[in-house]
This record gives sequence, C-alpha cells and structure tokens, in this order.
Amino acid sequence: MSSGETLPAAQAGTVESMDCLVTIAASSGGRRIEISGSGAARFRSAMENKIIQVLDSLGGPGDLSVTVQDNGALDIVLGARVEAAYLRFREAMLR
Amino acid sequence: MALNAVKRDIPSRIEGYGNTGEKLFEGAFARKPEGFRASAMMRSRGPNDPTKFLGSVKEAIAASGLKSGMTISFHHHLRNGDFIVNQVLDECAKAGIRDLTLFPTALFGVHKAIIPHIKSGVVRRIMGSVNGPIGQLVSEGGMEVPVVLRSHGGRPRAVIAGDVHIDVAFIAAPTADVGGNMSGRAGKSACGSLGYAFTDAEYANCVIALTDNLQHYPIAPISIPGTFVDFVVQVGVIGDPDGIVSGTTRVTRDPLRLLIARHASKLIEASPYFKDGLSFQTGAGGIPLAVTAFMKEAMKRRRVRGGFGLGGITGYFVDLLKEGLLKKLMDVQSFDHEAVESISSDPRHIEISADWYANPWNCGAAVNELDVVILGATEVDMNFNANVNTEADGALLHGIGGHQDTAAGAKLTIIAQPLLRGRIPCVVDSVHTVTTPGEAIDALVTEFGVTINPRRRDLIDACGEAKGKNAVPLVPLDELAERAKRMSGPMSPLRQGDRIVGIVEWRDGTVIDVVRQIFPENISS
Repeated sequence: MSSGETLPAAQAGTVESMDCLVTIAASSGGRRIEISGSGAARFRSAMENKIIQVLDSLGGPGDLSVTVQDNGALDIVLGARVEAAYLRFREAMLR
Repeated sequence: MALNAVKRDIPSRIEGYGNTGEKLFEGAFARKPEGFRASAMMRSRGPNDPTKFLGSVKEAIAASGLKSGMTISFHHHLRNGDFIVNQVLDECAKAGIRDLTLFPTALFGVHKAIIPHIKSGVVRRIMGSVNGPIGQLVSEGGMEVPVVLRSHGGRPRAVIAGDVHIDVAFIAAPTADVGGNMSGRAGKSACGSLGYAFTDAEYANCVIALTDNLQHYPIAPISIPGTFVDFVVQVGVIGDPDGIVSGTTRVTRDPLRLLIARHASKLIEASPYFKDGLSFQTGAGGIPLAVTAFMKEAMKRRRVRGGFGLGGITGYFVDLLKEGLLKKLMDVQSFDHEAVESISSDPRHIEISADWYANPWNCGAAVNELDVVILGATEVDMNFNANVNTEADGALLHGIGGHQDTAAGAKLTIIAQPLLRGRIPCVVDSVHTVTTPGEAIDALVTEFGVTINPRRRDLIDACGEAKGKNAVPLVPLDELAERAKRMSGPMSPLRQGDRIVGIVEWRDGTVIDVVRQIFPENISS
C-alpha cells in the first residue's frame, strides 16, 4: 500500500455500495488526489473539494497522496472516510 | 437539426442510419402504419428433396447462402447462457464472411466474445441492445455504424414493416425435430417461451434451427412450426443451463427497496384498477418482485381476483396462477425453473410472440390490455421522461426491453426506483437519454413516497381518498429533485463528443433520442 519504501500509508472505508475506500500515503510531489469508481465521472470536482476541505481542516500537510476507490459515497461518507484515513496515517507517521 | 416532440435535437441525417426527416418522434401514438406487411422469400421442400438435417453450423451457414453484408438474427431466450451467437459468428469469421448486421433480440455479457469480430469487421453493425463490454466499446466510439435500439415491440414492428430484412435467422431450440418444429419447453437447455423468435422465423429468407435435443418427427407441443424452417443442425450444447434460467427468484430483503415496493403497492391499491380482472406486469427486478408479493397480500385481503400476468414470467407469477389470484399468464420470456415448468404443463400459461406482446402496429398487442406495469429507470426528469439506456457517465449500457411498450399500453405505468443509486440521482432536470416519454409514465415511486404525473389528476384524487393504513404518501416532483440535488451535490458536466454512436427508436420506428460518443477521463487528476 505504501507509495515509497519506508513511507507509511493508511486506509479507511470499504467498497460496499454507497461507501468508498480511501488510502492516504506520503507523497513527495505535493498533494495528489486520485479518484476512480462510480462517482468519478460526474462528481470528481465535488469529491476533490470535499477531500481538500477535510484535510485542510485537520491541518494536513501538502505532501499527501489520496486515493479514493468510490462506490457511490455521499459527501458526508467521503468526508468521514478521509478523516479516519488521515488520522490513522498521522498515527502511523508518529510511530 | 430539428427538435422532436420530447425536445431532442435530432440531426436530419445520421451517418450509417439515414435521413430522419420523416422519422422524428411526434408522440406516443402519433405514427400509424401505411401500406402492406413485408415478406420473406418463398421456399419449398418437397418429398424428394434432400433432408433439412445438417451436421454442423459451418454446413448450415454454407447452405443458407449467407454472404458478406447480410443481416443475421438471434433470439435471447438463452440469456447469459447462450452459446449460439458466439459460435455462429466464429464460423462466419472462419468462412471469410464480413460486414454483417447483427440483429439479436438482445445481447448479454456472455457475448463479449464477439468483440474481436466487431474489431475485425465481421460484424459491422448491431441493431439491438448492447451492454457490458460491448456497450462500453460502442459508447467509446468502437463501431463505425451507430447501434439501433428498439423495444421488444418495436423490433417485430420493424421486421413486419420492412425497416429491417433478415437474411438468415439462427434459432436456438431446446427441443426440435428433423422437420424443424421447435419448442423451448423441454431438453437440457429448456428455456420455456420462444416468444422473441416467432417473427424472425416468419420473415427471414432462411431459418436455421440449432438444437441439442433432436427428437423424432413431430414433437408436441410445437412453438415454431417447421414450415418456416430451412435447416436443422444438431450441436453439442446450445447453452449453459445455469445462465439460461435462474433458480428461484427471491424478493429483495433490502429495507429501502421493500419500502419503495410498499409505497408502490399502496398506489396500486388506491388506484381504480385494483378490482377483479386486474392485469399486471412486474418483470424480475428486486423492487417489482417485492411489489408482486405485496400485491398478493392485498389481493387476498380485499378478495380481488386478477386477470392475467404479462411479460417475463417468474415463479411468483406462477404462484399467483396456482392460487387462483391470476387466471392466465401470457409469457414472452420464462425467467426461472418454475416458469419453464408451468408453461410446459399448464394450458393457462400461454406462450406469446414479441409481436403479440408489444408491437404497436398489429391489431391487438397484449400490452394494450395491461392495467398496471412496474418499471425501473436510470433517470426520470421534470417532464417524467425516463432513461433506461444510458448511465450517469453517458455510456450506453442497457436495452429498452419492453419499457416503451408496456408504458404506452398500461393504464397505470409506475417507475419504482431509489432516489439515489450510490451518489447518482435518479431524478434530474433533464434525462441524458429519453427512452420513454413522460406522456406514457403515470407515477414515480421512491423511498420518499409516490410522485404522480400532474397529467393524471384522477390518480392524485384517488390517492387523496385513501386514508389511514392505506394512505399514499404523495411527494411533488420538484421536492424530490431538490432533495436529490442536496444529497448528491453538484454534478460535473459529461464529456461527450458530437459523433452519434446509438439511436433510440420509439416503438413506432421514429427517433426519440440519440446517444453520443463519450470520452472516459483519465483516472488521476
């Protein structure tokens, strides 16, 4: 799951209907967001905005890679999954 | 370009389809037939002629005179278990035949095996539903000629009216005799009704029966008589029984869908059609099956005896027949083992052709006698127009089925659907593709309640009279649309091109909408 040799990564969510699987890892090239799955075609920008909003509100750094495998999550679900994944990621970084 | 009656811009000429000037959709019942029925080449087989029986698909293709550029047809009663379409196209490719028009009554996931034949030019055009990988290929511009989509009734109409001429019909037959008499009732690949194949047998220039259960002459009962059939081929297996019929279909246990079904059955009970003789069609989807279960309960409670059940038949309908809650079943497609068993043994379970089922241009399609139909849709808009063909990303992934026909025929047409599928709203300002016009749709039922087309003042009044436990929760359409928007958030515009990859015909042969090429985005951004 980790994008580099030693960098940690964390996940939250599922690929059940109306949920999404969010993976957060350290990135060296600024904030990178990848979205795939059912919401991608029509809700990409709304999803990106939500992800950025949640990360900013948690004081997330710029160098993060966020991967979302979506199966129709509403914003409120996406936000919760991003928050959980980021908090797990931060914990893993501290270890 | 010109606007049709559902305000869709239709180019006056579509490459690979033709001029549309005379063929713009004008309204559900606007276009009437003129002239005479089409015909097939006359053929005969006398007592001294060689037998119809041939040893292989390859020999049958040679004997049929099939050449490049011709039109071949198939029926879809073997559904996702069908081996025949793939096998015939493999043999056509080996014989060097190209540029075929494929005219199936429907294609399934199993037919993705023909994609190499599309890419290599063996198949040049598809007239019929596309889904899964073939639908994706077509949507992304993988075919030069646009796909033409017709409903279950629109297809036989097109054949009988001469819009489409079938050169060779390949008919998979679970049982056949050496004289070419066919039936779907028995055999290891039994599928029940052969309804979709009837018109093809009658109007094709050459008819080939393919069977894995060859019997002595004559079989009984006979669905399609050998008088139409030129050749009979015995093959190892025509299909995979697991893909042909499902096991016992079960009612959904999803509470959201059960709630929707409950609302829908309350609407039916409140309607003027809930009385002795009630006829209905519900198909095999999760919500419609649950509606059937609730209706059964309501019919028993209020001692209502129904008339007939129509369309694709499931074990649920068979139970209603056995319990005397329905008097007859009219079956164009038998979905499960119970339906196959019933059509084989109960004379009240009638096999009907697609023409009889749904063709608007004959003197008595069964859909015209329907009281109630429960349908689905990917989207419904503020004019009650319904889309069943394209997905939220614009991909053409579903056929029309009997949607248009039953919606036009039934007195009460209900679309029952959750307000959101994942994040995607089912109620939108304007549907991406119009499959069925709002004038044919009476009510939309979601988990939030029942939304009635304002055109049906009588239904709104009838629902208003239902009180207490039978009360029908009514929700205005604009409130639903607002709610959907609030929950799903703003949608990004679709990335699509100008090129037309699909044409959606209304059941009378007019163009109700077109589907344009999509450009799927790169995953990362």
